[in-house]
Amino acid sequence: MEPDVSIETSRQIRVAILPIGGPIPPSYLREYTSLIARHTRVDLASIASFYTEQQKSPFAHQPWDTGSLSFKFVLGDCSASPWEDFQPCRKVLAVLGICHLPSSSPDLDSVSDQFVSACRPYGSALATRCFAFCPSDAQLAEKKREDIVLLASADRQAMELHMLTLVQELAASLLMEFEKWVLRAESTGTILKTPLDSQSSLGSEEVIKAKKRRLGRAQKTIGDYCLLAGSPADANAHYSTAIELARLTGDVFWHAGALEGSVCALLVDRVGQQDPAMEDEVKYRYYTVIQLYRRAFLQDNAQRVSTVSFELEATLKLARYLCRREHSKEVSDLLMGAADGAKSLIDATDRLILFIEIARLFGSLGYRRKAAFFSRQVSQLYSQQENVSAAMSALQVLALTTDVYRVQSRKNKKKEQEPSTNPPQSIVSLFESHWSTIQMVVLREILMSSIRAGDPLSAWGAGARLLRSFYPLITPAGQSGLASSLSNAADRLPDGTRCADPCLPFIRLHSFPLHPSQNDMIKRNPAKKEWWTGSAPTGPFIYTPFTKSSSSTGNAAKDQIITWIVGEPVQVLVELANPCSFELVVESIYLSVHCRNFDAFPVTVTLPPNTSKTVLLSGIPTEPGPVNIPGCIVHCFGVITEHLFKEVDNLLLGAAQGLVLSDPFRTCGSGKVRNVTFPSNIAVIPSLPLLFSNLVGGAGANVLYEGEIRDITVNLTNVGTSPVEEVNVSVSGKNLDSVIRVDNEKLGTVLPLKPGGEVSFTVTLKAWQLGVADTDSDARRVSREGSSPYLVIHYAGPVGSNPEEPLPPGRRLVVPLNICVVQGLRFVQARLLSMEIPARFAQQHSSTEPGPDSVKTLVKIDPYKGSWGLRLLELELSNRTDVVFDLTVSIEADDTAYHKTRIDRDYSARVLIPLEHFKLPVLDEISSKPELNASISALINKIKVRWHSGRNSHGELIVKEAVQQALQGAVLDILLPDPLTFGFRVEKGGDPIRACEVTALEAVIRNNTKETIRLSLSVNCKDVAGENCCEGHDATVLWAGVLNNIPLEVPPLKEVVHSFSFYFLVPGDYSLQASAVIIDAIDLLRARARSTLPDEPIFCRGSPFHVQVIGTT
Amino acid sequence: MASTACFVIVSKNDIPIYEAEVGTAPRKEEVAYQHQFILHAALDIVQDLAWTTSAMFLKSVDRFNDLVVSVYVTADVHTRFMLLHDSRTEDGIKSFFQEVHELYIKILMNPLYMPGSRVTSSHFDTKVRALARKYL
Repeated sequence: MEPDVSIETSRQIRVAILPIGGPIPPSYLREYTSLIARHTRVDLASIASFYTEQQKSPFAHQPWDTGSLSFKFVLGDCSASPWEDFQPCRKVLAVLGICHLPSSSPDLDSVSDQFVSACRPYGSALATRCFAFCPSDAQLAEKKREDIVLLASADRQAMELHMLTLVQELAASLLMEFEKWVLRAESTGTILKTPLDSQSSLGSEEVIKAKKRRLGRAQKTIGDYCLLAGSPADANAHYSTAIELARLTGDVFWHAGALEGSVCALLVDRVGQQDPAMEDEVKYRYYTVIQLYRRAFLQDNAQRVSTVSFELEATLKLARYLCRREHSKEVSDLLMGAADGAKSLIDATDRLILFIEIARLFGSLGYRRKAAFFSRQVSQLYSQQENVSAAMSALQVLALTTDVYRVQSRKNKKKEQEPSTNPPQSIVSLFESHWSTIQMVVLREILMSSIRAGDPLSAWGAGARLLRSFYPLITPAGQSGLASSLSNAADRLPDGTRCADPCLPFIRLHSFPLHPSQNDMIKRNPAKKEWWTGSAPTGPFIYTPFTKSSSSTGNAAKDQIITWIVGEPVQVLVELANPCSFELVVESIYLSVHCRNFDAFPVTVTLPPNTSKTVLLSGIPTEPGPVNIPGCIVHCFGVITEHLFKEVDNLLLGAAQGLVLSDPFRTCGSGKVRNVTFPSNIAVIPSLPLLFSNLVGGAGANVLYEGEIRDITVNLTNVGTSPVEEVNVSVSGKNLDSVIRVDNEKLGTVLPLKPGGEVSFTVTLKAWQLGVADTDSDARRVSREGSSPYLVIHYAGPVGSNPEEPLPPGRRLVVPLNICVVQGLRFVQARLLSMEIPARFAQQHSSTEPGPDSVKTLVKIDPYKGSWGLRLLELELSNRTDVVFDLTVSIEADDTAYHKTRIDRDYSARVLIPLEHFKLPVLDEISSKPELNASISALINKIKVRWHSGRNSHGELIVKEAVQQALQGAVLDILLPDPLTFGFRVEKGGDPIRACEVTALEAVIRNNTKETIRLSLSVNCKDVAGENCCEGHDATVLWAGVLNNIPLEVPPLKEVVHSFSFYFLVPGDYSLQASAVIIDAIDLLRARARSTLPDEPIFCRGSPFHVQVIGTT
Repeated sequence: MASTACFVIVSKNDIPIYEAEVGTAPRKEEVAYQHQFILHAALDIVQDLAWTTSAMFLKSVDRFNDLVVSVYVTADVHTRFMLLHDSRTEDGIKSFFQEVHELYIKILMNPLYMPGSRVTSSHFDTKVRALARKYL
């Protein structure tokens, strides 16, 4: 059987191309043959100039205008076929020698000799030519030779033109040879034999029959030559005669041959016409041909020679003719019939050709699976041949089937998929046609044949695909076997070989551990000085619906933009799985980067059988620009492969839907499917400054007592590669008011902070008060984690010179101030105490300013104001800590300090705070609540209780709330002054008051309101027993002036003095007290007096004044 | 019963969702592979043929050597029952396909079964093998 047969084969002139004068380098051989082989069709019109009609041409109807000759060039040896007489198209009718002169001997004579001897086996050749390429100048200069055509080197176009002429000349001489042959055959007759005839016994009847047959056969052969000469009309006439004769003589085989020739003549005649009637004619005739060949099959010589191959060739020719979609049923029936015939073929090569042709025809019909099936049959036939080149052929044929069986190498897959940009309709389409049994067999056959063919790379690739895709179906022993064949293949490959097909392990993206410094990049708002504001959602709400919707509508993973910075290392966590039963050594694995701006660092991993491992891969971006990391590069089993994350994601998706065999990660005991997709856009930006903070004294927690005040030094170092030009420190988080002061003025002075530069600044902290919720299990109060405030440092590098460019982002450094607040003094209770202490009249009436020695007294009394109803705030505190606290009470406004109060461990103590100096100067309506509150908080803020403990710790007791609570009811009384202030003074100051003397006294009445008050004043004097001394029978004090019901009118905020005199009869202690009834009191006064009835008299009483009367001696 | 018979259900994605060697011939790995290849190749012809007829049973559509492929296509033309056999009892094969179709519909009605995924029910397997013994 011959490959590539079609109906047209009958008209093709076979020309053998033989390399002459030693082997030709492949590239030249390819070039020369392509020069020749393109002339498969030579128009008759073009050869007319080379044609000379020596005698009358037997081809009477030759179509010189439209006809053509057809050539079939065969490279290399082609052995003579025993069927040459039957079909002249099988004969080698011309021999072309090609010689590459630089690689052959310089002697053209020897080339000529070699050519002659090479032509010797081709007895049937009617013309021979030898073309010698690339002659040297010396060879060109020689005398022109008849036997060798020298083709001087020229450009391709010139060579093509030259070759066309040569081929046309060859065609013309062949045509003339055909004419000669036909004339000779017509005149003398010829004996034509086929292997079928040689054994036939020649009886007398047979001899007569053979004579008749000879005539028919001659006619058929002349028809064949007419066809070769490109004259279908002549051919048809001869064929008709031949068919008639063959039918008469029962020469079935030649009948079929003539009929076949007539179909070819028909097609050549009607070239370009495609009408259904002709198609039916061709079909009808060819079915007859097939039938005839079948009849010619003689059982008796079936062992020796068989016509089956002619029957099959005829079937293939018809199938090729019909091979179109609309005839698919018919063609596949024909091909199935042909496939059945394979059993009757004796020669293995014939079977091979048959299957190849069937596969090709199914392929061109669009039946790719059928084509793949027969290709596999071909590869099996090749594999039976047990030699390297057959194994290579088997490998190549199998490689053609891989895309149908969906086991193709990724290398070929890419080529296919690149043009189609539309994404797959569904995930299912990714797993289409996964017929695992078949795929495994095909891969194993590829592996076997590539081992036999000595192609370690394809062996490795097939083994890798087999192991990766079908490990669940392979026994542990098989897995180990594959692993060792992978290693064996790798041993025969040079180091660093890359293969398109990944093997193990399976790699998926685990997560993106972002370093905080990567996260804390802030887009600068060029419009604002405080560029970091506005980048975060502002407004009072934590949840803003607008920002949420924008992130949730798009694919969250796609929207995620990751920014990496030049020179700062980044990390990616990947998970590796080895689902096989052998230990897998990954010699190195690193991130695969398709752009040049990233340096990835390799790591080595060993995966025990059936395990998975999470591995941290890192790298450093080196240049600004986008980075795309589709997967990892793995060096495993001696070969470098690229593993794409996307493929594993698809695999896992398929596993989740039950379409793929199994999920490698689940079998390794790794958890659920995480859907981490690699962000498609990672941008690398130019280097930024990077600050590193260090709290002096360690980053550990500062343990502070409630209210303790402490300075902390923060050290900032620029560890980046560009200077810091802007720094702003702000405080954020909880318990903000605990940061009293941030000394960041110093920062401004050191800018720009060069790389490597350091700066430190102080933060003053005051520990906050613990809440109820902070109580821990030991009933000891300790602040909870996360309640500390933190410093937020916004900083930025230099702004680019080009204002068009977007600003490089700024950064944020968060420095947590790890404060641990523990309870110091425990507040037990606060009480408001009232005391009635008479004013010291005697000693201090004359001095308006308190004397220096009065500082030591606990209660200061202004004699003009009096101290009636002094209020004290008593705080009870207990000390449960293990240190001693010293307390100091001070009141702002006057910086008097009172005695220190020491509270020892496990003791309680009380601290008294006088609430005397807070009175407002004017009794006025405090109408608005805020005003009142402001006054109250001003009052409370004035009270400071400071403490010291040990050498270093000091702070302030946080008692505001306690004070406020204690003062709740009485705050108005404390704040508001009485409407009237009563005072007494001695008219002539300096001397002590003596008994039995007239002492002139003055009562001073001050109006504290903004209205004029009319009142009636009364003054009385009491002795130590509290008896009234001025009235009654045993009065001890005589008096002059008016003491009772003195009508007075006091203008607003003014004083009025009422004078009177006393005469003390007995020395001793007395107390003077003034009182008044206010006439026509205004509402304000009524409110102050808390009177309920509108006409109730308002009674005011001053504080008692103490008078010491000494005796007269 | 046929000496060689290989029954496969092919889903709409051209994935075999059920495979069974139901012949009496001793099971050989190599042969079984060959059966699968023949069935796979026959899909091309089934694909064309299924649209030319309204019958579900397509009779024998393909052959290789002595082995014949008979196909039954469910109404949605997506699931194909393919039988590779060497016997010629067309009626038996038809009955076999019809009864397997009923079993397959029961599988489909299982709410836990995802159409297009592998049929793993051992009950189904047992029944199919019983039907093969009965009809083939």
